[in-house]
Amino acid sequence: MAYTGVTPSARSRGMVREVQHLLFTVAPGATWILIFLVLPGAYLMGVAFMTNGPYGQPQMPLSLESFRRLAGFGFLGWSPGNLYTLLRSLWQTLVSTGLVVIVAYPVAYYITTCKEKWRPILLLLVVVPSWTNQVIRTFGWMNLLAPGTPLSNLAETFGLIAPNMGLYPSNFAVTLGLVYNFLPFMVLPLYSAFEKLDNAQVEAAQDLFASPVRAFWHAVFPQTLPGLLAGIVLVSIPAFGMYVIPELLGGGKGMMLGNLVANQFGGGSNWPLGAAGAILMLIATFIGLFVMRRLGKRLGGGEEVVI
Amino acid sequence: MKETTRSQSVDSPTERTASSTGDPVRQPSSIEMQGLHKRFGRDTVALNGVDLTIEAGEFFTLLGPSGCGKTTLLRILAGLEEPDDGRLAIGDRDITEAPPHKRSVNTVFQSYALFPHLSVRENLAFGLKMQGLAAAERDARVARVAEFIQLGDLVDRRVDQLSGGQRQRIALARALVCEPDVLLLDEPLSALDAGLRGQLQVELLRIQKRLGMTFVFVTHDQQEAMVMSDRIAVLNGGIIQQVGPPREVYERPANAFVARFMGHDNLYPITARDGDRLTTSLGELTAEAAGEGGLLLIRPETLDLLPGEVAGENHLSATVSERLYRGSHAEYRLEIGDTTLQATLNNRGRHLPEMGERVTVVVAPVDLVTLSE
Amino acid sequence: MRKRTLRRGLVGFWWLTLTFLYLPLAVVVLFSFNAANSAATFTGISLRWYRQLLGNEQIVSAFVNSMILAITSSAIALVIGSLIGYGMYRHRHRKLGWLIVLIYLPIVLPDIVFGISEMVFFVRIYDLTGLFRPGLVTMIIAHVTFQIPFVGLIVYSRFVGLDPTLFEAAKDLYAAPVKRVIHFMLPTIKPALISAFFLSFTLSVDDFVISFFTAGPESATLPIYIWGAIKKGVSPEINAIAALMIGAVAIAAFLSLLFSQRRRT
Repeated sequence: MAYTGVTPSARSRGMVREVQHLLFTVAPGATWILIFLVLPGAYLMGVAFMTNGPYGQPQMPLSLESFRRLAGFGFLGWSPGNLYTLLRSLWQTLVSTGLVVIVAYPVAYYITTCKEKWRPILLLLVVVPSWTNQVIRTFGWMNLLAPGTPLSNLAETFGLIAPNMGLYPSNFAVTLGLVYNFLPFMVLPLYSAFEKLDNAQVEAAQDLFASPVRAFWHAVFPQTLPGLLAGIVLVSIPAFGMYVIPELLGGGKGMMLGNLVANQFGGGSNWPLGAAGAILMLIATFIGLFVMRRLGKRLGGGEEVVI
Repeated sequence: MKETTRSQSVDSPTERTASSTGDPVRQPSSIEMQGLHKRFGRDTVALNGVDLTIEAGEFFTLLGPSGCGKTTLLRILAGLEEPDDGRLAIGDRDITEAPPHKRSVNTVFQSYALFPHLSVRENLAFGLKMQGLAAAERDARVARVAEFIQLGDLVDRRVDQLSGGQRQRIALARALVCEPDVLLLDEPLSALDAGLRGQLQVELLRIQKRLGMTFVFVTHDQQEAMVMSDRIAVLNGGIIQQVGPPREVYERPANAFVARFMGHDNLYPITARDGDRLTTSLGELTAEAAGEGGLLLIRPETLDLLPGEVAGENHLSATVSERLYRGSHAEYRLEIGDTTLQATLNNRGRHLPEMGERVTVVVAPVDLVTLSE
Repeated sequence: MRKRTLRRGLVGFWWLTLTFLYLPLAVVVLFSFNAANSAATFTGISLRWYRQLLGNEQIVSAFVNSMILAITSSAIALVIGSLIGYGMYRHRHRKLGWLIVLIYLPIVLPDIVFGISEMVFFVRIYDLTGLFRPGLVTMIIAHVTFQIPFVGLIVYSRFVGLDPTLFEAAKDLYAAPVKRVIHFMLPTIKPALISAFFLSFTLSVDDFVISFFTAGPESATLPIYIWGAIKKGVSPEINAIAALMIGAVAIAAFLSLLFSQRRRT
C-alpha cells in the first residue's frame, strides 16, 4: 500500500455532507412553516399598523389607529365595549382553568389508584370526547341547555334563570363549554405526574400528618406541580383565544377576544382592528408560555412544561 | 498458536477449518494502518498517528482505558468514522474512503444492536439480504451459521425474548454469516456477568481458531485481553504504547503506562547504576541484561520469601505489613525501609509468613526488567 | 374508615365526570333518532333524519371534502414531518433552537390567530397573483402546516427511543443508503408513522377554526356545514350527522384500544 499522505479534505467533505443531509431533511418542513405560517403571521402583524379602508381592507398610511380602536376609542369617543370583551376573556380563562384544575385533580388521581391494566382504558374514556369535533361537542351543550330542557327547567325552579330563557346563551354556558372542552388537557399531564409520584413519600406523609388534606398538600401537591403547570399552559392559552364556544354558547353578551378578532374579518370587517386584536392574543400567549417556562424551570421538570 | 492457525487454514487444503457456512474459508486478510489521525471537535484528539499491522488470521486486541482511542480505531476499521489523515488497507485493498456498506468487515457491537422490528432469523439474514443474495441461499447460510454457533431453537424466537448471553451469540452469528474478511468486536462481553463472560470468552476463542478469520477485539480488561489474544496493542492518548503477544506485554512492558495498566505496582526509579548493578530505594540489585530505562519493574509472582534474615545476592530484608490469603496463593505487602513491595506466593504447602514476620525477599536477576517512564 | 369514605367519594366523582363528558354526546345521538322535529322533547324512535341526510347533496359533498382534506393533508404532512423528525434526530447534537421554535409555533399559536393569518395571506396572494384561491388547496396547505409538528415530534421521539448503534449495524451489514431507509428505518418507525398519520387525520377532522377561515365557497367540510346549519337555526338533521361523526370517533377509539393492547402483549 502506497502511503499517499495527508487528506485534508476528508473533514471538510464530511461537514458538507452533514449540512446537505440537514438541509434535505429539515428544509422542506421548515420552509413550509416559514412560508405558510411565519410569513402570513408577519403580514398580519403588519396589517395591524395600517389604516382601515372602505371595505375593511388594510391600506396605507401606517398608523396606530387600530390599537386606539381596540382600546375603545371610536368616532363617538370612548366606549367600554372592547375593554369588557378583553376583561371577560381573561375572567373566563381564569375561572374555567381553575374549575378544570379542581375537576381534573381527583379524576387523574382516581385513575392512578386503579389497576394498571385498566388505566389506559380509563384515560381513553376521558380523552375520547375531545376527539369529536369541537362544533359538535358545543352543539351537544346547546341541546342540553336550551330552554325547555330538563337542566333549564331545573335551574328555573331554583330561580337561577328567568322563565323560558334557558341556560344558554350566557356566560355560564361559555364557562361550562370551556371546562368541558379542556378537561382532558389537564387530566393527561396530571395523570403522568401522579403516576411518577413517589409513593413512599405519600405514605410517610400519611404517617406524619393526621389529615389526608395536609398529606396531600405537603407530599402530593408539590410533586404534581410540573404536570399542573403543563396542564395550565395547555388549557389557558387556547381558552384565552377561544372562538367557537363563546360564539355558539355566549351570544352577544358572552363575546370573547377571539370573537372580536374574527368578526373584523367577517361581516363588519376592519382588518387592521382584527390584526391588532390578534397581536394582543399573541402577546398574551407568549407571556403565558414564558411565565410557565420560568416557573417550570424553577420547580424542576421544565422540559415537561414545554411538553 | 497463531502460526498453527494460519497453516491450518491456508496451507493444508485437506484440513481446512470449517467456515460458518461449511465452505472452505477464504484466505484471511491482514490489516494495515498508516498514520491514522482523528480529532473530535477542536480539542479532543482520539488518534494521534497510529501505525499498525494486523496479521491475517490473528486474534488481535486493542487494549486501553476508556478514551484511549481504541474504540475510535475500531470504528475507523468499520468505516463508521473517517480518519482525518492516514491510510487503511485490508488485504491489498485501500479502503480508507470506502463507506461501511462497501467493506467486507462486520462488527459485533457492545449493545449487540439487534433490529427490534425483525425476528432472530431475519436479523441473521439481514446482511446477506442487503448484499443481494437469493432467499434460498440466505436460508441455507443462516441454517449453517445457526448450527455452527449452536443457536438451536433461538432462531425462531423474537429478539425481545432473548437473554443477554443469547443476544450476544446472535450478534456474533449475524456478523459471521456474512463471512467478512475481518470481524470487529467492540467490548462484546462487557454487558455480561462474570460467569457467562468467561464461558463466552472460551467459545469466542474456539470459533476464531476454527474459522481462522482475522478478529479485532476491543477491551479495557487486561485479563480478558491476555486470555484471548494472539497479540495485543496497548493504547493511551491516541498513541500505541506497545504491540506484542500477551506474555511480552505483561512481562516486558514497554513503559510505565503499560506496566501500570497490566496491573503492575512494583515500579522503582533507578537512582544509580553500574553495569548490571542497579540502585533503587529497595537497595542494590543485580539484573541480567538490564536495559536502558530508568524504572525497575519487579513482578510480585517472581519473588520468593524466606523466613528470617538470609544474606546473599538480591536478598532483601523486609517486614510483612499485610497478608491477603486467597487459597491458591497469598498476596503480601512488604516494607523495606520506607519502600513498599508487593509479592505473591503460590500455596504449595510451604510456610506462608504471617503479619509482622521478618522475611528475606529473593529475586532472580533474570526477572528484573527495566523500562522507561 | 376514613380511607373508604375517600375512595367512595373518588369513585362517585369519577362517574359524575364521565356523565358530564358523555352527556352532551349522548343527547346528540339520542335526538338523532327523535321522531319529532324538536330539540327539547323526545317523542319516539325514527330514522327519518338519517334518510334526509343521504338525500342532502350539500352534506354528501361536505363529507367528501372532509375526507379529501384529511387524507391529502395527512399524507403530505407524514412525508414532510417524518423528514423533519429524522433530521432533528440525526442532527440533535447541533444547536437547532431556531428549528424547535419553528416546530412549536403552529402548536402554541391560538387557532384563531393561525386561521386569520392564513386567510389574510391567501386573500392577499390571490389578489396579487391569482394563485391560492380560497378552497380545498388553501385548506390542505393550512392543515399540513399544523400537522407537520405533530408528525415530526412523534417520529423524532421514536428515533430517540432507538439504540443509536442500530443505524451503524445497518451500515455495517452492507445496507446502502436507500436500502437503509427501506429495510431498516421505515420498518423500525412503522408504528410511529401509523400513529402520526392517524393523529394528523384526527386533527384535520377535528379542526373547525382554521378550516373555516381558509375555506372557499365550494369547499365546505362537515364541521363548516354543521356550523352554518347551527347558525341558521338548529335542525334535527344536524343531530344525525353529528351522531355519525361521534360513531366514527367511537370506532376509532375502540380500534386504538385494540391496537395498543395487542402491541403490549
